[in-house]
Order: sequence, then structure tokens, then C-alpha cells
Amino acid sequence: MAVHYVLEEKDVPEGGRVIVNVQGREIGVYRIGGLFYALYNYCPHQGAPLCEGIVCGTTMPSDVYAYEYGRAGEIVRCPWHGWEFDIKTGRSLVSGRIRARSYPVELRDGKIGIVMKG
Amino acid sequence: MTDLGKVIDVDVHNEQNDADLVPYLPEPWRSRVARSGVGYSYSGYYSPVGVMRRDALPPGGGKAGSDPDLIIRQLIEPYNVEYAVLTGVVYNISTTHDPDFAAAICSAYNDYLIAEWLGKHPAFKGAMAVATQDPQLAAREIDRIGGHPDIVEVIISSAARAPLGQRQFHPIYEAAERNGLPVALHPGAEGAGSATAPTAAGYPTWYIEWHTCLSQMFMAHLVSMVCEGVFEKFPRLKVVLVEGGMAWLPHLMWRLDKNYKALRSQVPWLKKLPSQYIREHCYLSTQPVEEPDNPQHLVDLLNMVDAENMLLYSSDYPHWDFDPPTVLKRMSPEARRKVMYENARQLYRL
Repeated sequence: MAVHYVLEEKDVPEGGRVIVNVQGREIGVYRIGGLFYALYNYCPHQGAPLCEGIVCGTTMPSDVYAYEYGRAGEIVRCPWHGWEFDIKTGRSLVSGRIRARSYPVELRDGKIGIVMKG
Repeated sequence: MTDLGKVIDVDVHNEQNDADLVPYLPEPWRSRVARSGVGYSYSGYYSPVGVMRRDALPPGGGKAGSDPDLIIRQLIEPYNVEYAVLTGVVYNISTTHDPDFAAAICSAYNDYLIAEWLGKHPAFKGAMAVATQDPQLAAREIDRIGGHPDIVEVIISSAARAPLGQRQFHPIYEAAERNGLPVALHPGAEGAGSATAPTAAGYPTWYIEWHTCLSQMFMAHLVSMVCEGVFEKFPRLKVVLVEGGMAWLPHLMWRLDKNYKALRSQVPWLKKLPSQYIREHCYLSTQPVEEPDNPQHLVDLLNMVDAENMLLYSSDYPHWDFDPPTVLKRMSPEARRKVMYENARQLYRL
């Protein structure tokens, strides 16, 4: 495992997203509630640039005709087909079997490090 | 992405602002559109993901699909697209109420398409739009524009006032056949204006239902075209069902053939099994490709009706349900080559 320090914490404002290139791989770095998350900029459905999608909330599972809005700022929607992914885990909201690749993040001296193999 | 082989994309939506059509319109339509816009009627169904691919908005502003350079950079070059049929969106005018205005908008668009798009890149070929409210006017427009070397197709809306095989629409097919052009049906305005309800059961509540049920519209039009004898009257006519789905085709062929065996006397002008007319005259575009959990199931289903000879790859760029030409990977290499390229090359004589 290697930690690639690619950004300063101040580069990513709260609710923001920055796409960086780490060893030829595009990665979206998000800041939610003061914590940082990293997602591969590649949708597992058809390969769209996932991290170019909007960051939003969504309607949570609910009773019929009831609407419960939640997860504000924690969901990214693929810019092609609108599939919703949990930014914190990369999981699709529809199926646990569908995941966008996510990477652990380490912070050191105000820098954001992305943990990758090699 | 160079391992994809050659690609022809039969559904690419170029867009324009209403004001772009103004110079191509005669009065009284010119001042009307300059003042109030075209005024399409829309289905009224809201999509939570929008209708456009979010990464297809031109950086300099404007609508997705309005910048030829971005289409070239985002679609034509990366996917090795040899030809792209520009389908526009103007066919949607067929759900408005005034036949003369709808025809004028289509004529203006066709002149605009030829003047401002088709020369922009050698890959660009054009689908000329006609409105279905007055098929005689549509036929006149096909005769006016259809001979242009870069016009490869006539496109009409699948949202219509009646099943499109009926006799009042035949002048469109007659003119298309006369000009050697396939006729494409494209959805988008189902349920809008003076069109029929968007599903067989009426008006659903949400876009997810509306979009899923678009296939019903294509099934109904296809059955109508076969039974009304369109392909007997116009034996050289080809029809392209764009964006209406594929997986229903075996069901429809089997059910219609079965019924024909009992009910043939009602449509005595048919000389062959209905499925035979469909195989000989019809093409289906691939997008939005059905996605069963096991992708092989779709290929198995398509193989049951030799669909490799009837399918044409389409991306629907820049719309939200875009498919890249990496779909249908489970098809055999030879079948896939036909679907991605060869069927369209022959149909459009490219």
C-alpha cells in the first residue's frame, strides 16, 4: 500500500469535490462533514466519469406515497444514467453488489493522502 | 477505445436554440418564432436525472448537443464513429396542433441542418424531420429535401394521433420510398399535445413508467404498419424503430404470426407471415439496451429471431440514457460487426 498525498485539505471545501490524477487514475476527492472520501472516477455500469455527477441527497426508502428526503450531500449521481452511489462507501443505492471503487484517505500535516496499492 | 472496430451511430441528437431556425422560416412563422419561440408541447413527465448527460453541456454554454466540436470530441473521435446520423429533436413538433406551422418548423430545421451541420464533419449524416399532422405536406417536404446527398433518412415522431400504419400516413411512406430513404420513428413527446396517451393503459404518474412503456408505442405502430399493408404497398420501404427497445421483438413476432394463422382473412393483402415483413423491412436501434442480470439472456433472446440482421447500434448522445458502443459484448464477433456497423452501412448506403 502506498499513500499518495495529492491535495491540501484547504483545496476541498465542505461539500466540494476535486478530481485528481493519481498514477494515471482519476479519483474524486469529496469532503462531507469535515471528513474526506475518495472515489474512482469510473462508473461500474458503463464507465462514465462518475465523479462529474452532481452531489445531492435523495429520497430514503419509505412507505408508499411517503417521501423522506435524506443523505443530503452524501450521494453522487452518475452524469450519464443517474445511478446513485453513497460517496462514503461507493455502494449503489439499488444493489449492494454494485459498487464504485473507493479508496481509504489518510490525513497528515494538512495534506490529503489517498491509499492505493503500489 | 480503438479496439471497438468500426461504428455507425444511428441516433445522435444535435440541438439548436429556437432562434437558430428563424432565418430559415418564411413569414408569418418567422416573426412568430422570433417573438415566442417554437413552442413544442411536452409530455409533462419529470425526470429526476434530467434528460441530458450532465457531462455533455458545452463548456462555453448552450444546450447539450448544440456544439458540433464537443460532439466530435466526446463521441465521434473517442469511439471511432465513422458515421453519425443526426436525428435532432424537431420531430417532436408532431404533437402540436397546427399542421401548417409544424410543417414550416420541419422545413426550416431541414434547411438549417443542411446549412449548419452536415458539412461540419465527414461523419455527420442527416435525418430530415417531417411532421405527421398533414402527411401530404410531409411528402412534399421529402420530395424537396430528400435528394440531398447527406440526408440519409426521414424521421417522424412515434407520438402521433393514431397508429402510424393507417392509410392517412401512407403519403409519407410513399415519398420516402420514392426518394430511397428509410423512415425512422423516434419517441420523446408521447402523451403531449394532440398525441394519444403515452401508454396503452393511459397516463401513468411518473417518468419511470412513461419511459419504460415507450416500447408499447413501438409495438402498436409496428403491428399497425404490418397489418395495414404498408410493406405490400411500398415494397422498397425500410422502417427504423429508434429507441423503442429490442427484447419485445420475439414476443411480438410470435404472437402476431400466431394470430395471422387464424385471422388472416381480416388482412388478406398480407402475402407472408407478419414476422417476415418485419425481418425484411424493419430495423431496431439498440439503445437503451435492456440489461438483464445475466447479459447472455438478452443475446439468447435476440438470437431467437436472428435480430443481428435487424439491429442498428445507437448511442442517443447526449441524452441521459446514452449507450457507448461497448454494449452487446456477448454477441458473436460477426453478429456484433453487423449491429455496430454493417447493417447501418447497407441501410443508409454509406
